[in-house]
Amino acid sequence: MKCVIAFKWAKNPQDARVSADGAVDWRAAKMVASDDDAAAVVVARDLAVGDELVGLTVGDGDVAWAAARGATRTVSVADVEPNADSAVLGEVLAAGVRRIGGADIVIIGDGVWDQMVSMSLAGQLGWAVLAGVVSATAEGDRLHVTRKSGTGTEVIEVGTPVVLAVAARRAEDKPPGMKDVLAARKKPLEKVAMADLGVTSVGGVTLRGTALPEAADARIFDGADPEGAVEQLMTALRSEGVL
Amino acid sequence: MDSWIIVTEAGPVAGMAAAARELGGTVTAAVVGPRLLAESTAACGCDSVQWFSTLDSVPAESLALQVADLVAAASPRLVLALDDPAGRVLLAVAATRLGAALVSSVPGLSVEGDDLVVTRPAVEGKVVETLVVPGALAGVFDGEDVDVVSPVPAAITEVAPSGMAPSMRIIETTVAPGEAAGLQQAERVVSIGRGVRKREDIALVEELADAAHAKMACTLPICDDMRWYDESHVVGTSTQQIAPDLYIAVGVSGQPQHMSGVRAAKVIVAINNDPEATIFKKCHFGILGDLYEIVPALTAAFKRA
Repeated sequence: MKCVIAFKWAKNPQDARVSADGAVDWRAAKMVASDDDAAAVVVARDLAVGDELVGLTVGDGDVAWAAARGATRTVSVADVEPNADSAVLGEVLAAGVRRIGGADIVIIGDGVWDQMVSMSLAGQLGWAVLAGVVSATAEGDRLHVTRKSGTGTEVIEVGTPVVLAVAARRAEDKPPGMKDVLAARKKPLEKVAMADLGVTSVGGVTLRGTALPEAADARIFDGADPEGAVEQLMTALRSEGVL
Repeated sequence: MDSWIIVTEAGPVAGMAAAARELGGTVTAAVVGPRLLAESTAACGCDSVQWFSTLDSVPAESLALQVADLVAAASPRLVLALDDPAGRVLLAVAATRLGAALVSSVPGLSVEGDDLVVTRPAVEGKVVETLVVPGALAGVFDGEDVDVVSPVPAAITEVAPSGMAPSMRIIETTVAPGEAAGLQQAERVVSIGRGVRKREDIALVEELADAAHAKMACTLPICDDMRWYDESHVVGTSTQQIAPDLYIAVGVSGQPQHMSGVRAAKVIVAINNDPEATIFKKCHFGILGDLYEIVPALTAAFKRA
C-alpha cells in the first residue's frame, strides 16, 4: 500500500534556551525527528512493502531523515514554524498528503511534543485515524492495527485510507549507517511553500508570553543526617494523610 | 459561553467538567462507551449527557463523525477531552468541524473579556506560557481531578445509532501486563531507577516496600536495559499510568517519560543524591542523600510506624 511517513515536524523542547526572565529562545533549535517518528517509520516500512513510501516533512532540519530509513522520495514544506494551535500544522501536513496524492496510509509519530498535530492531520483529511499505535500489519486490503488502550492493547481492523499515529516505546535502537545517510541525500526531494499548498492559516491561538514557574513547592530534606531526614519526611507524610 | 466535554474512558472527568464550568455556560458531555461510563460522567458535574452506546467490538473512534456533528451543531465555545487515544481522535474531528483552535495541553482556563486564556507548563515544565484564544477552542484536558460534592446526576440521553456500518472493529483485546504487578490498584508504590547500582541492591528497596506495604515499580531502563524487573513493573508514558496515594522514587532521575506515569499520584517522594535531578522539581517531598543510607533508615521508620 502507498504510504506517507510524516516526520520531523516539531522542535525538541530540550533544545530551547530559557533565560532568567522566563523568555524562551528557540533560535538554536531546529526541527528534529522524535522517538515517535522513529517508531512510525518502522511501521511505515512494513506496510509499504511492494509500494511507494514517501516522506513528508516541514520546517528546517534534516530533510533526508526518512529517506535514510527507506522513503523513496521526500516532500518538504520549508516555510513552516511550530504553532501552539495544532490545527495549523495539521492543515499543512494534510495539504502535503493531498499534494503527494494516492496515499492509502499516512503514518506519523503520535507526538510527545504535541499530541494533537497527528490527530488534526487526520481530521482535516477526513480519514479514519487511530492513535497510540504500537504496530500494524496488512491483511488483504485491510489493516490489523495494535494500539494502546486504557486497560492494555487492542487489535483493530480498519480499512484505508487511514492515519496511524504511532507511539514509541523507547528511543530508536537501530539508526541508519553512514552509507544509508549518504545515499538518502541523493534521493528526490521536492521543496514546496505553504502558499503552493494553498495554506494561509495562522491559527487561532496567540502566545501572550512565558514566565518562570513559581518555585516548586517541594520540601527537600538534607540526607546528610539520614535519621533526621527520614523523621522529617515521616512527619510530613503523616500531615498529608498518606500514612 | 457553553462547553462540551468528550468522554471515552474513565479519568479526571470531574476536573475537566470543572474547567469547562469556568466559562459560565452549560456543560454538555458526549460519552462514547458503556452505560456505566455515561452514569459516572453524569455524576461529575455536567448539565446533561449525550450517550453514544457502543458494542464491545466497536472502538469509540468509529463514531467520531457522528459525535463531531452533534458537537458542531451546538456550536460551543469550548470542547475538552482527555488524552486517551480515542478521546484525542474524537476531539480533533470535532475541532475540524467547528473550525476551532486545537491545543494539545489545557490544565485549566479562564475568561478575560471575550477571550479564553490558557496558562500551561511548556518547554518541559521550565516555563509557564499563557495562550489567548479569541475564538472556539478544542483542548486536551490534563489538569487535576476534583471531588464533586453531593452531585445531582445529570440526565442521560441516548443518541440513536447512525445506521452506518462501523468502519473499524476490535478483533482482540489484551489486558495490560501492569495488572500482574498490581500497580493499578496499589495505594503505595516504591520504584527504582538507575541510581540503584547493582541487582543485589534491589533487596534493600524491596525491604522498604515490604515495610511500607507497597508494590514495587521501576523505570523503563531497569526493565529493558538491566532486565531486573519485567514489563509489568514499568511505569511511564509508553507503559502504564498509576495513581497511588504515596509514590516513593528511589534513585529515579525524573525524566518526563517516567513522571507522566505517576502524574496522578497524590504524594510523590524522591530519594536521590543529585541535587540537580529533575525529580526534585516534580516531587512533593525529597531527601537529598545517598539512597544506601536513606532507604534503610526509611525502612526502619515504616516498621515503627
